[in-house]
Amino acid sequence: MVAPAVAVRRRDRVLVLRSRRLGWSTRVHGRAVVVGLAALACALAVFVWSLAVGDFPIPVGEVIATLFGGGSRSTRFIVETLRLPRGLTALLVGAAFGLSGAIFQRLARNPLASPDIIGVNAGAAAAAVFVIVIVHGTSAQVTFGALAGSILTALAIYLLAYKRGVSGYRLVLVGIGVTAMLGSVTSYLLTRAEIFEAQKAVVWLTGSLNGRGWEHVRPVSLALLVLVPVTIAMARHLRVLELGDDTARGLGLRVERSRSVLLLAATALAAIATASAGPVGFVALVAPQVARRLVGGRSLGLLPAAAFGALLMVAADLVGRRLFAPTELPVGIITAILGAPYLLFLLARANRVGADA
Amino acid sequence: MTAPVTVDAPPSPLTAERLRLAYDDRVIVDRLSMAIPAGRITVIVGANACGKSTLLRGLARLMKADEGSVLLDGQDIHRRSTRDVATRLGILPQQPIAPEGITVSDLVGRGRHPHQRWHRQFSVDDEAAVMTALDATGTTDLADRAVDELSGGQRQRVWIALALAQGTPLMLLDEPTTFLDLAHQVEVLDLLAHLNETEGRTIVLVLHDLNLACRYAHHLVAMKDGAIVAEGLPAEVITAELVAKVFDLHCHILDDPLTGTPLVLPVPAGHRGAA
Repeated sequence: MVAPAVAVRRRDRVLVLRSRRLGWSTRVHGRAVVVGLAALACALAVFVWSLAVGDFPIPVGEVIATLFGGGSRSTRFIVETLRLPRGLTALLVGAAFGLSGAIFQRLARNPLASPDIIGVNAGAAAAAVFVIVIVHGTSAQVTFGALAGSILTALAIYLLAYKRGVSGYRLVLVGIGVTAMLGSVTSYLLTRAEIFEAQKAVVWLTGSLNGRGWEHVRPVSLALLVLVPVTIAMARHLRVLELGDDTARGLGLRVERSRSVLLLAATALAAIATASAGPVGFVALVAPQVARRLVGGRSLGLLPAAAFGALLMVAADLVGRRLFAPTELPVGIITAILGAPYLLFLLARANRVGADA
Repeated sequence: MTAPVTVDAPPSPLTAERLRLAYDDRVIVDRLSMAIPAGRITVIVGANACGKSTLLRGLARLMKADEGSVLLDGQDIHRRSTRDVATRLGILPQQPIAPEGITVSDLVGRGRHPHQRWHRQFSVDDEAAVMTALDATGTTDLADRAVDELSGGQRQRVWIALALAQGTPLMLLDEPTTFLDLAHQVEVLDLLAHLNETEGRTIVLVLHDLNLACRYAHHLVAMKDGAIVAEGLPAEVITAELVAKVFDLHCHILDDPLTGTPLVLPVPAGHRGAA
């Protein structure tokens, strides 16, 4: 019914969609769409594959049939009850980390700003270990504790970094300080723990998707359902915020309000993801960087970052499950093995750029 | 070269009334009143740390006044919505930040923010304004280049294009010629003079170079210690006594042989006796 007049800007590879009648217009970055969809397709392929492999291999064709309501009773049990919730949690948690990291990095104008470095994850970790070791809580209580811990930590960091507004630089520095403090709290709690609880805590701290059920899928999908549209709506503000506070104010943006909403969304995404899978390292750091390199400077690359986060997470979990099968490695170990060298590369590069400047 | 601002001049679009600006306890600008003449180029000069950039930030509502007020079209600038102000007044800060890898057309397009809504992110008007701004600043050929690859002069023209795309009748620029070589300084100032002449935009600049300030200003404002020492036509404002007072500099004032505006000739230490 609505026939938008579609104009293609040739040199920019930017699609401008307009409807004169509705007074509606938007821009779509061709490359961001292609890269994002490609990453999503890869993530879904690995996801389906992860449902197929295991101690009871099921042919991929049968997995797909089962997902669409077919399959035998045993394949339905293995796929729907055992493997599907874990795979979905991996996809969604990865997407949440990727999106969260992309927002943090854009806001702070710093590729090192991600929830695992600016202390949000450390807050979740300290709270979760506290619940495991001192409260002897259930898995649901641990999840809730981690959520509360990360949100309180983020709030504390924001308030400590606040001085006539929050600059990205101060946010990263305060985050590093708070992370160090909370790290020592976590270590102290572990020294007080019984051996069984300590082991449970350490597995949680590494980040693991082992034994994830539908109760883990629901909160993450709900969070994404709310926060992805919020992020898309705020992307326009983020593009102006990137130009510096004075320029953004000059362009009529309510800088503190926009930044608070974006920070809150990014923190909530990281907090929910961490509560569901533990503080899985490096996904939030690496996924936005990979997306950015492939998408280029024309787009913010928020949704591509989410797609790469999902891909990274689901692939890392599959590798962790199968590498030394039947022994499972927690997903956090695999993401660290993949992510740490990348972090070193970023630091080395930042150092060189800094030396040049 | 320029007619003096007469009584029947159009009303000032931007005025400061007993404006007091401070960072925490440090008062930078103290009870300053001024009126920016409409359709003119106003240049603010003064020694380092005299408060000229702070004044510009205050005029652009980037800083809240401790006392007094800034009036935009006769209304308190802080009472109007910041987006509404952004359609009337544009500000180019001293060191704006270009995100890594951003292209020229993308950056200039972000100047359209105050005219956009969530459902209207790039209208025909937006596109036309960006094209006109690129054209006016001679950056059309650079549209697809990354801003980080450009020379300092090109980059400054791109930032001015962003301010132009914003489409405001009032433009405030904080030292737009810093870090540029002389040829590029002249290029940027010629561009601003051209915009003022052809489109009648009111322009307020903070500049370091006194001679360039005298050449391009219709209205010159000299500041010292957060207050205005003198303002008016450059030829009336710039005297050896004023330069000694404001800049603590011994100088001779000549007539610029090209423009007739004052030409400030600093006296080197070895020649003080002779002068």
